[in-house]
Amino acid sequence: MRWLIAGLALTCLAQESRLDYGRDVRPILSENCFHCHGQDASKRMAGLRLDTAGADLNKVLARVTATKPALRMPPAYSKKSLAATQIATLERWVQQGGRYEQHWAFVPPRRPTPPPDAANPIDAFVRQRLRNEALTPNPPAAPHAWLRRVSLDLTGLPPTPAEIRSFDGAVASTGEKAYQAAVKRLLASPRFGERMAIDWLDVARYADTHGFNNDAERSMWRWRDWVVRAFNQNLPYDRFLTEQLAGDLLDHPALEQRIATGFGRNHVINSEGGIIEEEYRVEYVADRVRTLGMAWLGITLECARCHDHKYDPVTQKDHYRMYAFFNNVPEFGEDGRVANAVPMIPAPTAAEQQQLAGLDARIRKREAKPRPKPLGPIDVAGGIPLTADQAVPISKHEPLSFAFQLEGSAQETEIFSSIDYKRNRAATTYGRGLDVRLVGQEIEFRFADRLPAYSILVRSVGAELTAGRQRQIAIVYEGAKDSPTAMRAYAAWVRIFIDGREVETQILHDGLAMPDRNADKPQLTKFRVGPVGEPRLYPRALTSAEARALAHIEAADLELETLREQRFRIARQVATVMVMQELPGKPRQTHVLLRGQYNLPGDAVEPGVPEALLGAWPKGAPKNRLGLARWLTKPDHPLTARVVVNRFWQQFFGQGIVKTSENFGLQGEFPSHPELLDWLARDFIDSGWNVKALLERIVLSATYRQDAAGSPKSFARDPENRLLSRGPRFRLPAELIRDQSLFLSGLLVEKLGGPPVFPYQTKDLYKNIIVAADYPGTKWPEAKGPDLYRRSLYTYWKRTVPHPTMTVFDAPDREFCIVRRSNTNTPLQALTLLNEPGFLEVARKLAERAWTQGGKTDDARLGFAFLLATGREADPGELSTLRDLLNRMRREYSGAPSRASELLSVGFTPAASTIPAEELAAFASVANVILNLDEVITK
Amino acid sequence: MSLSRRELLARTGFGLGTAALGALAAPGDFPNFAPKAKRVIFLFQAGGPSHLDLLDYKPYLKGRFNEDIPPSIFGTQRITGMVAHQDRFPVMPTMYGFQQHGQSGQWISDLLPRTAAIADELCVLRGMHTEAINHDPAITLLQTGSQLPGRPSMGSWIDYGLGSENANLPAFVVLNSLPSNGQPDQGLLARLWGAGFLPSRYQGVQFRGGGDAVLHLSNPPGITRDQRRTQLDGLAALNQRLKERLGDPEIDTRIAQYEMAFRMQASVPDLVDSSREPESTFTLYGPEAKRPGTFAANCVLARRLAERNVRFIQLYHRGWDHHGGLTEKLPALAHDVDQPSAALVEDLKQRGLLEDTLVIWGGEFGRTPYAQGPSKPDSYGRDHHGRVFSLWMAGGGVKRGFSHGASDDYGFNVAEGGVHIHDLQATILHLLGIDHERLTFPFQGRQFRLTDVHGRVVKQILT
Repeated sequence: MRWLIAGLALTCLAQESRLDYGRDVRPILSENCFHCHGQDASKRMAGLRLDTAGADLNKVLARVTATKPALRMPPAYSKKSLAATQIATLERWVQQGGRYEQHWAFVPPRRPTPPPDAANPIDAFVRQRLRNEALTPNPPAAPHAWLRRVSLDLTGLPPTPAEIRSFDGAVASTGEKAYQAAVKRLLASPRFGERMAIDWLDVARYADTHGFNNDAERSMWRWRDWVVRAFNQNLPYDRFLTEQLAGDLLDHPALEQRIATGFGRNHVINSEGGIIEEEYRVEYVADRVRTLGMAWLGITLECARCHDHKYDPVTQKDHYRMYAFFNNVPEFGEDGRVANAVPMIPAPTAAEQQQLAGLDARIRKREAKPRPKPLGPIDVAGGIPLTADQAVPISKHEPLSFAFQLEGSAQETEIFSSIDYKRNRAATTYGRGLDVRLVGQEIEFRFADRLPAYSILVRSVGAELTAGRQRQIAIVYEGAKDSPTAMRAYAAWVRIFIDGREVETQILHDGLAMPDRNADKPQLTKFRVGPVGEPRLYPRALTSAEARALAHIEAADLELETLREQRFRIARQVATVMVMQELPGKPRQTHVLLRGQYNLPGDAVEPGVPEALLGAWPKGAPKNRLGLARWLTKPDHPLTARVVVNRFWQQFFGQGIVKTSENFGLQGEFPSHPELLDWLARDFIDSGWNVKALLERIVLSATYRQDAAGSPKSFARDPENRLLSRGPRFRLPAELIRDQSLFLSGLLVEKLGGPPVFPYQTKDLYKNIIVAADYPGTKWPEAKGPDLYRRSLYTYWKRTVPHPTMTVFDAPDREFCIVRRSNTNTPLQALTLLNEPGFLEVARKLAERAWTQGGKTDDARLGFAFLLATGREADPGELSTLRDLLNRMRREYSGAPSRASELLSVGFTPAASTIPAEELAAFASVANVILNLDEVITK
Repeated sequence: MSLSRRELLARTGFGLGTAALGALAAPGDFPNFAPKAKRVIFLFQAGGPSHLDLLDYKPYLKGRFNEDIPPSIFGTQRITGMVAHQDRFPVMPTMYGFQQHGQSGQWISDLLPRTAAIADELCVLRGMHTEAINHDPAITLLQTGSQLPGRPSMGSWIDYGLGSENANLPAFVVLNSLPSNGQPDQGLLARLWGAGFLPSRYQGVQFRGGGDAVLHLSNPPGITRDQRRTQLDGLAALNQRLKERLGDPEIDTRIAQYEMAFRMQASVPDLVDSSREPESTFTLYGPEAKRPGTFAANCVLARRLAERNVRFIQLYHRGWDHHGGLTEKLPALAHDVDQPSAALVEDLKQRGLLEDTLVIWGGEFGRTPYAQGPSKPDSYGRDHHGRVFSLWMAGGGVKRGFSHGASDDYGFNVAEGGVHIHDLQATILHLLGIDHERLTFPFQGRQFRLTDVHGRVVKQILT
């Protein structure tokens, strides 16, 4: 690739004698010289800097051209060397005055005047470059070809034959307006958000498991759904950024704004026993800085973690000042053993919120009514009086209840406890036991294998146990009634009753270690007993009625009780989501970490950004994540808009205007169309960061609408199409390959959002790879029915063993931020598309669809299947190949009904019984071929 | 086209034979110098096998059971959370016997009798060290050069540098084995054979023990090989038409990949089918070699892959994490791997393959010379220990019957001949003819390499 760029750059040189420092000179210096003569003072040799003006450049030239090996630069031991053309460039630069210029990406974009080549500024800039390169743009693609391209790009799904027909008609009658209308329609589709989310999930390293050795389940799908909705609602990009970085710090943040901050918690979390807490807590913060760099800023901040950046003017101190923004989260290094890691919040869906609000309304209404008739006293049997010397059997798998009387207090008070807090905190069994305490006038229930990671912490909400009043309290732990492999944790089983009435609870931590029935047999446990009256333990789960009876409340409203029970049960079981949050009180002091090591703190630093480089901190903005978001979205920020515009461009054209979309720094590639990038960035900001408007402009451009064909000369001249003389053409991303095939076969089940789903996956895939223990995240409970056919962004993403159909088509494992996937072409992809059961089922359904809807003749049916898959009519030659293939397949199955039914039995959905098996198998074999066409898996 | 060989490969599948690409080879391509080894078989022992009970004989500890490890030895050991609460760190001598073997007189534990029998083939490194103290970071460091996720694995780097010698098989194959006690408590991670930021075609291909050796390799029920051929002919004809219309060379590559897939459907089952191996093979590797998915069966498979010139063959055997009950579990684990590992070396030698195949046996770290938890002289556990541990190599370019490096009297620190993980990686690359400082890939504005900014070749062990 470097050769190619060098080639393109050389062409420029031939035409413009004046060198551009940033484009022509700095890459040479940066690659070969800055390591020892750059801004990292600790590595600087001979006190010489070549990254800023000041050196005697003639002396430098003498050294790079020296013939004596001892004098020659760069030295042999560096394993770098300058090519003759590079030396010539340096010589010309010095001749022209040796001027240094600020790196283009660190200067705010201005709005250049588009050349007069075309009306759409995109086309104007692209054509200007083509003209300079003596190339001509391709003619426009046929309307149906553009429609397929744009439908896949904006919604991830191809157009239907009806849409193609109606579009062709509209183009014929209304011309350009038809294109605009199609784009409007696609942008308004809820599929748009699903398509756009895919790339962002890579950037945000979204997954459904924590990663690392244990790789247990986490629940972040509410955040994923937030992303889909943000795109669909066309949330302006500055708000998209602000809510994800700092939604919790906005004034009175809405639930959805807090959910958005899950972006900062999508990183991997380690629950491996024996890790050093602080080491990993530091890694999480460092990951947020790395992601800040790659996702929003397009520069590699990570390099400055251990030392000053070798290439970009970012110092180690700058790194830790940005680190400080993310270093104030109440989190643990070791967490996420079986469920979400703290901090987390319950995140009821809109439907659940509605359900809860409905119940609340009914409860309020009922409470206002007069009480019904009293009920007789209920005997609550089986209580064991709890005393300090009474040993009782306790197990986290078994139900258990406590009842006692307590006078409230503002003081934190231990009520019952079997946890020895005086033990060495590093012990593997530190904190094991059960503990009930009064904290902030609320009841807190702790049940732990080890504190803090492997425990549940549940606290009452609104109990307000004030001094001077005796209350009857019951705590019910319903026990892990489900099998130990149930995909859930334990905290949802805790219920708290105050004076016989169930109260709301919040789950502060949900990490009771993985179930191990052998190791977790009931333990005879002694409790310390605090200042309570009539303390009793019940080796079973008390019912609401019993809790009421214990409070000596005879008059009860059973309907109200049932409503409350229902309400709290829903509330306890709604999915949680991990969020960003600030530590209460004084912020954690951040230090520079020497060599990036968690245990080598250096100078203390305060939160801040490299203002000299990237622009001043906005006046009055707080020095926290919210201020950081304001700084990033300042209209004159040099990077934010360029970086995102470039990434959208990459999504549509296969590569960015800056090819290194993760790196706009000095080592990044110079943009192929710098003025176009600046114009787009400026226009994007001025439009109010309007994403849909930007995409509309791109897909309506003549550049995007070009035909993708090219002569051998054209492909040889510009194999990657960086000059854009051809329309974009590249293999679809993994998700789209599968989604498209489901769609055109009619199997796709379109349902927006929700928990992740488990489509077909090879049964023993995890065997011989993952930990041989049962806990959430180690099983693949394959769906039966609609969830087999959902869009791929909803497929359960297990980081250490992602779904093979995704990774074989270049999806990353999501262990860290990725802003561009590779696009490869391998035999394993062929095997997947030919043989994977899901794709075979699709082939059969496509065959059924063609058979029943395509017409009555072979040609009509084959033509219909081809049209569904490629978005165009087959030409006579293609049709004849397909017909020939169909007849050969018929011969294969004729007289072999059992082979036919073997093929037809693949997949959950049964084969249509209306079509003869041998006939359907023959058509399915042809559909199998159609689905493998290069044209089908390529946009 | 002005694409370098590697760039061309990046766009295509398992790559072509290097000979075919000779014309395209660009300066700076690999190998940088004549390789000593053409291929590597890494018998990875995940979980951290105890050097003190297997390969590192420490007579000084005999009779010092339960004495404290002196502070001068203990130094600033980073201890894991699992023993951080222990008040003391008592010496735990091995309960197993060690003898000298062969003309080289290598000390090897009685738990590894077959390995002992090939002592004169082995080059034992007893000064290995790593700074990671937990599995995930340690194993990731060993396989990718960094403790944190995100870097390409060693096999990917080698594939990227050298390409494949076999047009029908991937250059980097991974074989995971199930230990006989069946309950590995440490997971493996796809990243250990992932391509990181290299193009994803360089990721290792897992060959699986049961069912299809390669995922989705077999034709589905109801589709025969002849029929598949007919389908692929139709597919190629249609793709060829498209190519003529659009001119996109990527379509040619696609056609070629489907042909490669078709060839793999024949070559891979033939490769993994050990049933026609003579009985002598199973005598050599042991009866477990007949059970697909065992370490022994995978060792046979590794030899078959080596015969077919697969470049990097990575075996994983799990279950070495003996915090407690080491004395109950270690003998069975050692038994699982001892005979097949030794048999592989012998077998390669008999076939004349050992001279250009590098075999490596070892894990991500060793285990502590002090006991974890309650201990008796014949019943103990050991925690993770990265300050020193042992590993052996054999074949392709390393000295025979040789040992390099030593731990101190306690088996706690490197006494001499320390070899860091990056040094090991540099040495492996060197044996393959690669200068580890030149095997780089630009990412995020920096040239990355397997050895990060470290690594030196361990010259002392080279032939």
